[in-house]
Amino acid sequence: MPHHLEGVRNFCALHGALQLFEAMDGVVPVVHSTAGCGVQYHLGVTRQSGGSGPFGSPPVSSSNISEKHVVFGGGSRLREQLKNTVKVVKGDLYAIVTGCAAEMVGDDIPAMAKEGKEQGWPVVYANTPGFGGDVHHGYQVAVRALLEQLPELAASETAPVENLVNIWGVIPNSDPFWRGNLQELHRVLSGAGLTANLLLGDGQGVQAWRQIPGARLNLSVSPWGEEAVRLLEERYGTPYLSVPALPVGFATGKFLRAVLAALGRDNDEAAESFIAREEAVLNRHFARMADSYFRHGFQREFALVGESAQVIGLAGFLSGQLGLVPGTLAVTDPLPEPSRREVEQHVGAITKGAATVVFSEDQAEITDALGTGSPGIVVGSSLERAAAASLGIPLVEASFPIGSRLILDRCYSGYRGAVTVLEDVGSAMVAGSPRETDVTAQ
Amino acid sequence: MSPLRAKAPRIREKRLDAIGAWLGSTSAAVAEFSGDEVVQRIRTFAQSTNDDLIYALRIAGTIRNSVTVVHAPRGCAAAGLAHALAGPGSVWASTNLDERDTIMGADGKLRKAVTSLHHRHRPDVVFIVASPVVAINNDDIQSVVEELREELELPIVPIYVTGFASRTAVTGYDTALHALVKYLAGSATAEEKGELVNLLSVAEHPADRSEAERLLRELGLAFVTTPDNADIRDFRRAIGARASIPLCPDAPEYLGHVLREKYGVPLIEAPRPVGISGTGAWLAAVGSALGLKKEAAALHARRKAETEQSLAGFSLAGTAVYLSLAAAHAFALLELVHELGGTVAGLTISHLDRLHLPHLRELAARLPDLQIHVANGQAFEEASIVRSINPGLYIGDGLHVPQIARLAVPAVSLEGTPVIGYGGVTGLVRKIRAALAFRSFGELLGRTPTPYHEAWFRRSQNWHIKQEVK
Repeated sequence: MPHHLEGVRNFCALHGALQLFEAMDGVVPVVHSTAGCGVQYHLGVTRQSGGSGPFGSPPVSSSNISEKHVVFGGGSRLREQLKNTVKVVKGDLYAIVTGCAAEMVGDDIPAMAKEGKEQGWPVVYANTPGFGGDVHHGYQVAVRALLEQLPELAASETAPVENLVNIWGVIPNSDPFWRGNLQELHRVLSGAGLTANLLLGDGQGVQAWRQIPGARLNLSVSPWGEEAVRLLEERYGTPYLSVPALPVGFATGKFLRAVLAALGRDNDEAAESFIAREEAVLNRHFARMADSYFRHGFQREFALVGESAQVIGLAGFLSGQLGLVPGTLAVTDPLPEPSRREVEQHVGAITKGAATVVFSEDQAEITDALGTGSPGIVVGSSLERAAAASLGIPLVEASFPIGSRLILDRCYSGYRGAVTVLEDVGSAMVAGSPRETDVTAQ
Repeated sequence: MSPLRAKAPRIREKRLDAIGAWLGSTSAAVAEFSGDEVVQRIRTFAQSTNDDLIYALRIAGTIRNSVTVVHAPRGCAAAGLAHALAGPGSVWASTNLDERDTIMGADGKLRKAVTSLHHRHRPDVVFIVASPVVAINNDDIQSVVEELREELELPIVPIYVTGFASRTAVTGYDTALHALVKYLAGSATAEEKGELVNLLSVAEHPADRSEAERLLRELGLAFVTTPDNADIRDFRRAIGARASIPLCPDAPEYLGHVLREKYGVPLIEAPRPVGISGTGAWLAAVGSALGLKKEAAALHARRKAETEQSLAGFSLAGTAVYLSLAAAHAFALLELVHELGGTVAGLTISHLDRLHLPHLRELAARLPDLQIHVANGQAFEEASIVRSINPGLYIGDGLHVPQIARLAVPAVSLEGTPVIGYGGVTGLVRKIRAALAFRSFGELLGRTPTPYHEAWFRRSQNWHIKQEVK
């Protein structure tokens, strides 16, 4: 039985499904739940992930079921809402997502979606009550809904597209840098001669999902994409590669080589020359900031709080490349036990066993864990403000939730992302170190 | 019978005939409320909107040294995160109900959550905020409250919101205020009323609260502010006050009502202190109720002169303004727009109920044809109305201001903007000036279309508002 959570950071399955659908161009989520669910999402998720949603408002269609529907059922209300959503809101696909009240009442959602399809409307549905799981579960349910219900996919006899790679496991908003991270992934994969099918973000809609069967490889970049890549292997025989995290900095070369190897391409010359060019740029940035590095004492213990994919990627960069000392690494996505062991192995390998890995999504537990080490900087979320303040150390807000910054397309992975991390983490340490005038004044 | 006997107050629809879906002129609105029963309308297409749970969280999170436990699956605590990151960082938690809990009940989990949060944080009070799941299952919160209150020697306050019983979010304020007084105010004392007055401030911007407090201080009044930023002991002090002064005739109304009915604290009827004359009227109401007429008039005269000087002849003459605001706030802003020389082209108001009737009648006499749209968060209706009116300025406090701004209408958001008192006028005018003088962002935003089909804009704007079939 899961216990209560203080300072919740992973909200419910409905929110996870909304995070996916709102990240696709032309998809209109139809919330079938009580009126507040969409506003909770807007206040607690959209606004706390560095930016805003696609509509300039909370989700634009919601059945807002009331007492009458709780007593007598809300199926007819959903039918009416769906019919009118198609008339009022522009969209290529209407995605019904359900909340707790509708599911407890037992509304027959598949039947309503079927009715809609019989009318010729492009409709899918995902059962996403909050009591069914958290955002990560919601993301998986929504991905499965699309893969199983998009009629274009079922009927597809798409010819294989050379070099096409589908990308899975980046959860919009749960990764506040998702948009930029996907763009950077696209950039580095094309540097290796591949075409990434991002599936989410600007210009990515149903059309992109139609290409899924034609891809040569499914690439999962977090544990949350594994279900999709397995499903697709089963269905289309597409091979997959699953990595626990997006690479940051020099780790990108190894990552690109692994992707190419999965496609049966070793020692790819074009890729090697791309990697060399990018590494040269990064080397120059390292050399440029060396003065700040030594002067402001960058080489100190760091703590990380975030999704496993972020923690693994950043720990590898900060410790394995920037030479910082790994301390407490708090992994906040609720991973099943086998995935936890894998994360521990990965982190152990990167950090020479120096890190303490904690799995928790509870603010109190995380606060206590941060206090056990002697970190000199925390890269975490806005929920770590109080902990960082009481430890008297700088906090870089980089994982969900982020209440203090705007994030449009900056990234935290790949080569470019490494530079951004350098700037953010470095700036926090520079700003946090005593100025010479302060020192003289003492 | 004490108004506090029930678990929760009656919903606004039943208590004050509140409506949340309507479109028509001010005179038609008055006619709507003229009978004994007001017709309830529903929407056949709707968009997400605030509910009582979200509004209750706003109040709970503002009480100092409190812990709020949202008794629900984890998503219902999302608004709590927003409040916590925006505010002073109150502690909030979710009981994180899963599927099994929805079948077997979860009072054990609730008990454990409250106990462990108590031991960790030693708060003055723990709020338990109910939710749709708990309301549908009729989970027993009360016995946990009774047990733990004795065991932990700690006030534990259950707030029985449902998320679906009322279509008017302001019901959540009523429900939270009901619980605060019921559990924190104690029983009525026979003592003489003291020197204190109550300032009733519900979910106001901190700067607004400070502005009002400054004005009361200048009148030489000693006051206690509830519930915003209150200490739990403030509720005990509130019941012994000699009068209650609301910062708004709407949100704190239930608190004022209960303090009057149960504890005999008179409730001063005052408009919202917004705008120069609005603030003057608020001060005048306070002054005449508390024997400070002269002082209030003098204060107003002084601050009025200063404020007018700081406005340096700013005028909204020739600008038609569209307002989309929460209840009494809309009426107050309407007066301010007139005061600044502008006209009001139309009004979207979050709900209408009998509390608004006096103002509505007066407005209908002056502007019988002014259109009132009753809606909370229904951006699609508003987009259509605003596009057809094409006002010179849009002022809104909803979550959908960015969507309306795509119509390339200069927009000002009042979410997080202080507006109360003389300082509020100066601040708001600064924002309006900027929005009207530098329109580039809004014009560029106009290149992004609204989410709606052209066909929707050709429909009548109340197409989806229908009378409820019983």
